Amino acid sequence: MKTKLILGAALGLVLAAPAFAGGTLNLYTWSDSISPDLIKKFEEKTGITVNVDGFNSNEDALTKLQAGSSGYDVVTPSQHFVKIMIEQGLLEDIDAKDMPAFAQVDDKWKNQWWDPTSEYSIPLAYGTAGFTVNRDLYKGPVDSWSVFFTPGAELKGKIADLAAPDEVVGAAELFLGVPFCSEDKAEMKKVYDLLKAQKPDVAAYSSDNIENRIGSGEVAAHFWWDGNSLKTRRDGANIEYAMPKEGLVGWLDSFVVPKGAANVEAAKAFIDFMSEEENATVQYNYYAHSSPVKIDLAKADYTPENAPELFPTVPVTFSQACSPAAQDLVTKVWTDLLK
Amino acid sequence: MRGFRFWGLVPAWGLMVATLMVPLVIVALVSVAERGAYGGFAWAFTLEPYKEILFSEDWDGNLVFDPKYLAIIGRTLALAAATTAICMALALPVAYVIATRTPRMKAALIYLVTLPFWVSMIVRVYAWLIILGNDGVVGRAWAALGGEGTLLFTSGAMLVGMVYSYIPLMVLPVFAAIEKLDPALLEAGADLYASRWTTARRVILPLTWPGLAAGAILVFVPALGTVLEPMLLGGGKQMMMGTLIQSQFGGARNWPFGAAVALVLMAMVVLVLIANARRAMRKEARA
Repeated sequence: MKTKLILGAALGLVLAAPAFAGGTLNLYTWSDSISPDLIKKFEEKTGITVNVDGFNSNEDALTKLQAGSSGYDVVTPSQHFVKIMIEQGLLEDIDAKDMPAFAQVDDKWKNQWWDPTSEYSIPLAYGTAGFTVNRDLYKGPVDSWSVFFTPGAELKGKIADLAAPDEVVGAAELFLGVPFCSEDKAEMKKVYDLLKAQKPDVAAYSSDNIENRIGSGEVAAHFWWDGNSLKTRRDGANIEYAMPKEGLVGWLDSFVVPKGAANVEAAKAFIDFMSEEENATVQYNYYAHSSPVKIDLAKADYTPENAPELFPTVPVTFSQACSPAAQDLVTKVWTDLLK
Repeated sequence: MRGFRFWGLVPAWGLMVATLMVPLVIVALVSVAERGAYGGFAWAFTLEPYKEILFSEDWDGNLVFDPKYLAIIGRTLALAAATTAICMALALPVAYVIATRTPRMKAALIYLVTLPFWVSMIVRVYAWLIILGNDGVVGRAWAALGGEGTLLFTSGAMLVGMVYSYIPLMVLPVFAAIEKLDPALLEAGADLYASRWTTARRVILPLTWPGLAAGAILVFVPALGTVLEPMLLGGGKQMMMGTLIQSQFGGARNWPFGAAVALVLMAMVVLVLIANARRAMRKEARA
């Protein structure tokens, strides 16, 4: 452990420019997830300078924190990664339940399995992962994952998956009736066989630039998230977010503070600020994902009528924190798929 | 008192040790450590990560020889070699044309060759995404000529992106070599009734070979570790060593294995460099 620490310190010396300075707050959030207007407002109100870095997968965020000396004060991982980060001792105990922000949180998101005593995290946004079709190219039904995983002639060669297995494997499991994080090889073999059979019809495995790919019709069906699909549709793309009867993969992102953060007080002030009703409403309208904290419905842009993406009519199953054995099977599915 | 020769070099050595040796040693140590349950690693010596490159458990739970990582290594080598070969073939005439212009023109053309480096690599690769896309210039032309399917997300698209990204690294050293070429030698060749082709093969090629070799190293080595083009233009359908290493530190949560693959990649690079250095030394000995 000690050598690890020394190595960590050496690595830190080599790689990291330490971000001390009382007046700065370093955010590490999903790319483009926080309203720039709110960041400006926070800076003006407090005099704190805010820097924002983005990530595109939970794994990236976890790896950064594990490498140590990340220099970040606030990170926004999803529920299963919050659990892993807490267990790995990577997070600061911020007494979340005593923060003003906690009072704003909808009761159903309090004391959940990933943070049972609400010491570490304040939820920020939640939603689902599913698939979106381009209605100029595909006219058929979108009521089942079979449309996506076992495509008919219309979709052959015009499908795109995400670049990481996390949610794609989850969706395949929902379709096959395999439980999340299964440690059963025979069950996971079925997941592999399904994805392997889908591969010849897949144009790309990519998590970048999805708006353009599906919006412009480069592909006709894309694995995607609810709010992003909503935003792109409202920008004029003829697309539809599917409601597969087997269900959608659920996620909830939370604000957490990494252990050893330089500016814990500013981090907590920012989390409280983001959770105030007025600001949470601005954030909701910007990010277009559902809000787990109270918002002003009169000023909210999205309603069940104009944003069906955010109000799923099918069951939603949240991703779990897999055991190492289960995670290895997920990795094996993915590496064998792309080998 | 030690002289300037010693103290003058201390900063250079310090930089080498701190930014090159120390990280390398860390990677080497991680590659023989035990993986942590959720990424990270724990100190305990094991060669498991290296064994994993050749053997893995199949779906029935048997430990078997599994060439999947060898296939990834082979594919990476093939892509880097193809990129290098195409760059060589294209750079030679380009460099020749530049080297035979007037000094002013030469300076302007060399400036143009280096111009792309002013723009971020990611932006340049994204540009190809648009050019080759269905609505892009090349994509539309392809469709108008009756081409089937899309050009994007293919090995060809990946190769185009790679050649485009790395060709300046080939043009510059080849240009330097051609510029040093004495035109009198070409005239001598012509006087001795050598055809243009023979002159190119017997005079130009041997004399510019050092430039080509230097360019080949500059292109081949970074091409081995490439991540962007396979992911963006190739559609991420087949792993390369770069993407494999990235996934091991990310989703797969297997840092030691990622470190082991990184060292194998580095060993391959070092072998290429050694081979090149030995050839250069043999040549010098002969001269």
